[in-house]
Amino acid sequence: MKQLTIQSTGIAGTLESSDISITIEQNEDKGIEIQLKSTVENLFGEQIKKVIRETLEDMGVNDALVRANDKGALDCTIQARVTSAVSRATQTPCYPWEVK
Amino acid sequence: MWHTSLEERAVKLTSESERNALIAFLEKQGLALDGDVEYSMVITDFGKIIATGSFAGRVLKCIAVDEEYKGLGLSEKVFTHLTNEQFRRGRTHLFVFTKPQNKQIFSDLGLSLIAEVPSKVVLMENRTDGIRKYLDELAAESGEIIPSAAVVVNCNPFTLGHRYLLEYAAARCQKLHVFVVWEDKSSFPTEVRYRLVKEGTADLPNVIVHRGRDYIISDATFPTYFIKHYEDVVETHARLDVTIFLQYIAQRLAIQKRFVGEEPYCAVTSEYNKVMAEMLPAAGIELEIVPRKTAGGAAISASRVRELLRSGDLAAVRALVPETTYRFLVSEDAGEIIEKLRSSASRH
Repeated sequence: MKQLTIQSTGIAGTLESSDISITIEQNEDKGIEIQLKSTVENLFGEQIKKVIRETLEDMGVNDALVRANDKGALDCTIQARVTSAVSRATQTPCYPWEVK
Repeated sequence: MWHTSLEERAVKLTSESERNALIAFLEKQGLALDGDVEYSMVITDFGKIIATGSFAGRVLKCIAVDEEYKGLGLSEKVFTHLTNEQFRRGRTHLFVFTKPQNKQIFSDLGLSLIAEVPSKVVLMENRTDGIRKYLDELAAESGEIIPSAAVVVNCNPFTLGHRYLLEYAAARCQKLHVFVVWEDKSSFPTEVRYRLVKEGTADLPNVIVHRGRDYIISDATFPTYFIKHYEDVVETHARLDVTIFLQYIAQRLAIQKRFVGEEPYCAVTSEYNKVMAEMLPAAGIELEIVPRKTAGGAAISASRVRELLRSGDLAAVRALVPETTYRFLVSEDAGEIIEKLRSSASRH
């Protein structure tokens, strides 16, 4: 699978209710590190981290420092925000918008 | 929740009418517009300002929401807007100075508390590990952690006066940590000031020169928009800076003593020293005020060196600075800095 290396910083999302703000920074050779703040941390903290981690792994990102500020986002929102933040941090379009 | 009449936009700070409208709104919230603001945004309702936020460098400031519009998530909008604009400009590590009663609001926005001066000010950052990473950097530069002493300097530029202070201090402790103030508002750029201190103390084996980064708070970056009285600004700034020094830096590096140069002329610095004289001993850290070194009957000061550079008297400068600084001043790299000094009348 194609590997994606995070070299700059990317941000996506907002702090509105039901959204999540995701910041992706480089974290050379230190794996995926997630710093999460969430309004629903007690209930869904682990699930949110799992979604972030899986989305990154699916994209081929092995090393990244993720700062997430969650306001109760659904999994699909989290995936979308992570994908966008990675696109911005790597300056490559990561989402296949057009049907091939 | 989001009304269609609400509009979010950047403020054109060069337009007097826009600026005045912003100032009038802030005034209603008991705030002022800091002079160094480089970017401001507002949210308007039918053209009337109902929320705003600004920044200068990496400090977000002058954030306010109209009382009548609280609970609509406007502060989140303002904060997201400012953060995105900062990221666009390549700044990802951001800070907020605010009143302690706003701590919860900013904490909900994802900021972490660094330090608090009760009932006066809190400093927050948008990372949970910002200061910890800085302390790790300091520890890595320091080698073995043994009882040590510290000096904080600006060195704009490094003179024989600074050299005297550092030599004096280094002779009286096992290890001396020197912190160079990291704001870039002095005539000599941060990296140059740092390099000249390093070169000028290279022969003192127990001196370690550190970058002050974001945690030695310079009075140039300390915002004043939410503090009413000038005396309060100076004292509050000093208390915040000393609190961070005690809570984090001194503790991590086992600093037991702080040396400062005597300050007979500058009212701000002497007020600062007064706060230290009160706070350091209370935390078990000794403070020693070292009299200035004089030359030709007057104290050697960086401001005098700048004055002489302005008038082009390099021979007189040579008598006041170490060889390392002099070599830089006559080098090509210094040309632009000296040129700028001459064309400005600024005190710094």
